Amino acid sequence: MNFKKFGVLTVAILLVVSLMAGCGGGSQDTGKATTGETEGTETVKIGFLGALTGDVAMYGQPTLEGMKMAVEEVNAAGGIDGKQLEIVEDDNRGDKQEGAAITQKLISRDKVVAIVGDPTTGITKVAAPICNRSQVVQISAGSTGSGVVELGEYIFRDTLLDSVAIPALIDYFTGDLGYKKVAVITSQNNDYSVGMTEVFKTAIEGKDIEIVADEKVNDGDKDFSGQITNIKAKNPDVIFYSGYYTEGALIMKEARKQGLDVNMFGGDGLYSPTLIELGGDAVEGSMVFLGFSPEQPTPETAAFIENFKLKYNDKTPGLFEAQGYDAVKILAEAMNRAGSTDPKVFRDEVAKTKEFKGVSGTITFQENREPIKSPVYLLEVKDGKYTLKQKVPVTVN
Amino acid sequence: MAEVLQSIANSMDPYMLQIFVNIGIAIILALGLNLITGVTGQLDLGHAAYMSVGAFTAAIITIRFNLPFSVNLLIAGTLAALVGLAIGFPILRLTGDYFAIATLGFAEILKVIFLNLDITNKALGLSVPPPNTSIPMPFYVWMVTILVIVGVTFIQNSRFGRALKAIREDEIAAETMGINSTRYKNQAFAIGCFLAGIGGGLYAHFIAYINPSDFAFMKSIDILNMVVLGGLGSIPGAILGAGVLTIAPEFLRFMSEYRMLVYGALLVFLMVFRPNGLLGGVDFRKMVFRIFGKREKKVLR
Repeated sequence: MNFKKFGVLTVAILLVVSLMAGCGGGSQDTGKATTGETEGTETVKIGFLGALTGDVAMYGQPTLEGMKMAVEEVNAAGGIDGKQLEIVEDDNRGDKQEGAAITQKLISRDKVVAIVGDPTTGITKVAAPICNRSQVVQISAGSTGSGVVELGEYIFRDTLLDSVAIPALIDYFTGDLGYKKVAVITSQNNDYSVGMTEVFKTAIEGKDIEIVADEKVNDGDKDFSGQITNIKAKNPDVIFYSGYYTEGALIMKEARKQGLDVNMFGGDGLYSPTLIELGGDAVEGSMVFLGFSPEQPTPETAAFIENFKLKYNDKTPGLFEAQGYDAVKILAEAMNRAGSTDPKVFRDEVAKTKEFKGVSGTITFQENREPIKSPVYLLEVKDGKYTLKQKVPVTVN
Repeated sequence: MAEVLQSIANSMDPYMLQIFVNIGIAIILALGLNLITGVTGQLDLGHAAYMSVGAFTAAIITIRFNLPFSVNLLIAGTLAALVGLAIGFPILRLTGDYFAIATLGFAEILKVIFLNLDITNKALGLSVPPPNTSIPMPFYVWMVTILVIVGVTFIQNSRFGRALKAIREDEIAAETMGINSTRYKNQAFAIGCFLAGIGGGLYAHFIAYINPSDFAFMKSIDILNMVVLGGLGSIPGAILGAGVLTIAPEFLRFMSEYRMLVYGALLVFLMVFRPNGLLGGVDFRKMVFRIFGKREKKVLR
């Protein structure tokens, strides 16, 4: 009996050891191959962290396309100190464990000096401790949730933050538009939405506007009749929906069906042609806030849109393309200013980025590395198109 | 001791180390589920939910109280086991598909609860600080993994383990032999959930950020995949399954877009050619003894 147990144990331990040994061997092989490449070509490597397949590939793919365009431009202009920029791309499927593994791979195998990504807050938070520990600059092109840049002094992001945009917007809503009562809808299984609603609730404290209805929905829901009925009874001036465009369009359809004639506003989660395709007439008058406007673009944005269409078969770039592009440009500029490609050196220059004329907005990093993008562009759906309603300046506190 | 381990960990390739740790955690989870689904024969489609209980408990304990990591993990595991018992007590009376659907339902309920609790920070999730231990995480995870492998091996080869197998083969026959099947099933379920809780606690601290959506249905299926691929009821099988399925996506990385396609095809082929799993129906002890036995005979001649 004891003998048998011993047998099973030995096999189990042998298996574990052989597994470890097998992987170890493989690692050395690939490791060598990568080093060989680095020695052969003098490049500065930037890692792309994001999903190219799976549910969140719709954020990863465009970010990478924007990054590629930025790298081409930087290289055409002479690169960094004569060295060419290179993107190392790896797919994480939107999976946290894979995201962590890839971050390690990019840093320890590919020896990247900076990582752009992830477009989602969750994986950014998984990657941030690793980047910070390894002293590699990380710029997240997309994460808007709270508690990201707090994870370390090497962590940045170039997105328009809700905590920056919403207070500015509320002043505009209460002042110019005279809104007094707002109905809030949150998608409670969506961290982006829950985070934005929290920011909104903090921002309206002490302002001349009150929440009359606080409804919860879920991503993937199709029927919003209950929530809209409740909201209609409270007679609000405006609906604030912090989630994504699919549910946003359906909410407005239901509202119009029930004869609720107020408009909806929300963040960049509502900015997609799909909102208009799905919503049709119901989303006329709906408002979204962004860091840039495709309607009245700055010269930089206009050039970006034109070049992007040339490169990618007439495809119109969106927010993620622009943010990925800006992230690479911020890094390249910081490296050139610092005259170094050592992340420990050019990190300080990234932190000093001020009034950077990006294509996704004008970016300034604050002391705490959080970006300020001013002005905020409030777009309105008019005749089935996003049109610029108002440029709202941001006051930095 | 801790410094030596730390310096060893520092000298290793961090990417490989990351994958090793992922394998270790996967093994703990797979062995827990193997006890429920493989040995006792109860198809559990919500194993990730018990993992989430452990993950959030461990994370909150580290954030609020910063207890020593071993104590923390034990509490996380125990709480997961208690939740498992509370769920298992009513639903283990169900059998077959009905039980599977019930576990699925309760897993969704747990996820929605976590999405709405303030203490778990709702959908925003928790950033988890490093655990309170001087041993580097990779070694810690593997120490726990080896302990779990040893523990599960003893459980499976004990009277208790044989009773579970009897229930799997024929519950009515087992009952007539005097096995209290409800009690045994509950105990097996609790142990499986305990391991899920420990695995969750390790996961939370290793990945450093958790969110209720991480522990959705697909995570349960991933764990179930490992157990089925390895061979239901086989401990070496569960270990191999966890290892293979954790390494495969990384190993297949060179195929870029086709990676998950090949991964899926791999699963289909394995199930076609080894329907009982990689090591299903393979008795290692018999194999080892047969080899040794033959050798002895040769020596004698």
